[in-house]
Amino acid sequence: MKSRAASAAGTVLLLAALAVLVAFPAFVSNPYALHIMILLFLATGQGEAWNIIGGYTGQYSVGHAAYFGAGAYGTLVLLQKWNIAPWYGAWAGVAVALLLSLLIGTICFRLRGPYFVLASIAVAEIVRLTVLNVPSVTNGAEGVLISDLPPFTIGGWVVTDFSTKVPFYYIALALAIVTVLATWAVQNSKLGYYFQAIREDQDAAHSLGISLNFYKNAALLISAFFTALAGVFYALYVRFIDPTTVLPLDLSVQIVLIAIIGGIGTIYGPMIGALVLIPLSEVLRSNVIADLLIKSGLVGVDSGLGIFLKGRLAQAHVLIYGILVVVVILFMPQGVLGFVRKLASRKEQG
Amino acid sequence: MVLVQALVSGILIGGVYALIGIGLTIIFGVMRVINFAHGELMMIGMYLTYFLFTLLHVDPFVSVLITIPIMFAFGAFLQKTVINRILGSLPQNQILLTIGLGLIMSNTVMLAFTSDYKILTTSYSSSSLHIAGISVSQPLAVSFAITVAITAALYWFLMKTDTGQAIRATAQDREAAQLMGINVRRMSILAFGIGASLAGTAGALISPTYYVFPQVGSAFTLKAFVITVLGGMGSVVGATLGGIIIGVVESVGAVTISSDWKDVLVFAIFLVVLLVKPSGLMGKSRM
Amino acid sequence: MAILEIHHVSKFFGGLAANSDVSFSVEEGTIMGLIGPNGAGKTTLFNCITGYYPPSKGEVVFDGRKMNGLDPDAVCRLGMVRTWQKVRPLTNLSVLDNVMVGALCRTHSLKTARRVAMDQLHVVRLAEKAGMLAGALPIGERKRLEVARALATKPKLLLLDEVMGGLNPAESEEIIRLILDIRIEGLTQMVIEHDMKAIMRLSDRIVVLNSGEKLAEGNPHEIVGNPQVIEAYLGPEQ
Repeated sequence: MKSRAASAAGTVLLLAALAVLVAFPAFVSNPYALHIMILLFLATGQGEAWNIIGGYTGQYSVGHAAYFGAGAYGTLVLLQKWNIAPWYGAWAGVAVALLLSLLIGTICFRLRGPYFVLASIAVAEIVRLTVLNVPSVTNGAEGVLISDLPPFTIGGWVVTDFSTKVPFYYIALALAIVTVLATWAVQNSKLGYYFQAIREDQDAAHSLGISLNFYKNAALLISAFFTALAGVFYALYVRFIDPTTVLPLDLSVQIVLIAIIGGIGTIYGPMIGALVLIPLSEVLRSNVIADLLIKSGLVGVDSGLGIFLKGRLAQAHVLIYGILVVVVILFMPQGVLGFVRKLASRKEQG
Repeated sequence: MVLVQALVSGILIGGVYALIGIGLTIIFGVMRVINFAHGELMMIGMYLTYFLFTLLHVDPFVSVLITIPIMFAFGAFLQKTVINRILGSLPQNQILLTIGLGLIMSNTVMLAFTSDYKILTTSYSSSSLHIAGISVSQPLAVSFAITVAITAALYWFLMKTDTGQAIRATAQDREAAQLMGINVRRMSILAFGIGASLAGTAGALISPTYYVFPQVGSAFTLKAFVITVLGGMGSVVGATLGGIIIGVVESVGAVTISSDWKDVLVFAIFLVVLLVKPSGLMGKSRM
Repeated sequence: MAILEIHHVSKFFGGLAANSDVSFSVEEGTIMGLIGPNGAGKTTLFNCITGYYPPSKGEVVFDGRKMNGLDPDAVCRLGMVRTWQKVRPLTNLSVLDNVMVGALCRTHSLKTARRVAMDQLHVVRLAEKAGMLAGALPIGERKRLEVARALATKPKLLLLDEVMGGLNPAESEEIIRLILDIRIEGLTQMVIEHDMKAIMRLSDRIVVLNSGEKLAEGNPHEIVGNPQVIEAYLGPEQ
């Protein structure tokens, strides 16, 4: 009974949180705050999507930038070169990502453990280098820049002309919610059971009638689909993409970290991972700390430390990813969520 | 003639690749840990060499003598404090941990020295030797000679000394080695130290002909995987061979196909090897 | 009627023959015992039958259908399921979820699977542990969990690979009762076992493997009286 009450309380809490998120732009118009929220939703979507293949199915892909990049490039290239509206071009990008995932799955799923990880990296690198090397289609290293998005209209009625961050806020929120719901649906279906069986023991799963090939590919397909959608969104939101922003190995690693830091194989894990990672990395990137220290008079603007903080710290926001992953793997291998649960159960017992 | 030229410079650069690969393969052999921070160790070697040269005017090739012990100590320290704690955990977690270590190294270096490209210009950086109509970059030739010397010394160490044999025994069967009274913990520290110093040496050797910057490592980490998987994870002979092969594929590929696609070629070969013979060329015989 | 026919099956690894020219058949509704000294090729034969290795030569016919070349998952869906000598619980899933994974072989509905799984947990007397993590079970219960998980796939033939290995006498007795209970339901079983007393009690027929070859076949009486078997297998123990 207690657990039912708890889950009811959980549902109420979840709905309340959702209501706050929906109402947020009505009360906060600061573009930077909206921007952070958008990044948070985007990271949640990326983490949840990876979680399906990595967390539930146990296949640690470190090449998800390929799907993110495919979604982003598909959309913007079609828009820039052929003037195809992004609401159609997006699906082309997603389709490319899905094809890519089938190709990668066919090649890589014959390999297990570390070999699979290495293969997933190799394929993603091939994708990045290919994009770099066919400038006639992708503009190569220069990247694709879009100055304006066409307004989104339904039957002549302009829904939004994308002049503020608010429409992006809602699209990103919707994307995150849909990805979370999809994960929930997977978890509560035959697919979820089969994915987890494969994660726990491939040979045992195989003997129980589970086609490893089919279900691993299914998991990757679902994962690639939502990762590509995130890529589409990123491209339209930022309006500039190049191989170093949407296709690098670093991005693949960051996507994995979102899930790992929160706790893999759980619905809340990637959300928590995003909540931890995004604010931390943004604080570093945006010089908030340096500005605060300088404004408070603790550090002089012209002092060596001041110049150092202003000039360098912003460049090194990825450092926080490195430190976090080392700390998490060493001290909380089940992620923040698992760590908190462990603490809670220890408290209950003590 | 162009092909012969490419072949020769491929073999020369392949020697440096072999050093990187051998380091990775020894670490994997002894600990079964794939070190994703390997390229970053090389990057640190490059910075060491750069500052030894610009501040103390130590010739890059002489600086190897300083780089090797420093990198050995750094590698041993990493093994003792961090890597050792995760030896028994999931391979995925080991990979992520070393990725994290790599990010910490590259971003710390960036914090300290910015992400600017640094160029180490020696009097001989762009000079070349002409032998039988083939021009050979002088720094590459010297670095190849040093590579050969180090590799030979390493073989001698692994085959002829007691410690070397203990390392090989640990790589073959960790548990059996432990039962035989080998101090496996010490061997792991040694292995990571050796691996790090080989990576650092490779960094020192290429710094006269390469840009020095914080992110230079990741490309070499990937290359190191390709080399070790090609040769067979854990095989020193395989890594030597793999390094030379990748060097030749790159430089011949750059001439015959295009320099833009040479890395794609390397990764494609990598995938084919993973699929057709995941145990690599020398997969059976470890070390 | 024979539900499983093994015709001249051989399996080579490199130049070594793990099985050579093994033939026998298993009658529906019976228990076939498979015995032999260590390294006789019992588990290899299981692997050949269930699709983990393709046989190098020969044919496996199950339920009138040639099985060569089928993957383990297809073999399972056709009604032949195995357990593992070294148990393979899905450790981070609950006991119930483990058995549900088996049950989902025959249904898409979680509800149905949950019901089937609970039934099987009752059969193996693990129902009260349904909510525990499988990794937390002691070895005897893990073995029973594995049997329940296999049974949940609704097999026509159950292959048990040393389900009594590593168990104490009380736990073994529980498994023997379980196997006999299952037999009453009419399910055909093939059992690899080291414990001779148990295998004599359980089996209708017994096949003896030695160095990869079939040494003898017969009912328990015939096997105990077979001088070749005594020499090759029972001899050293006496």
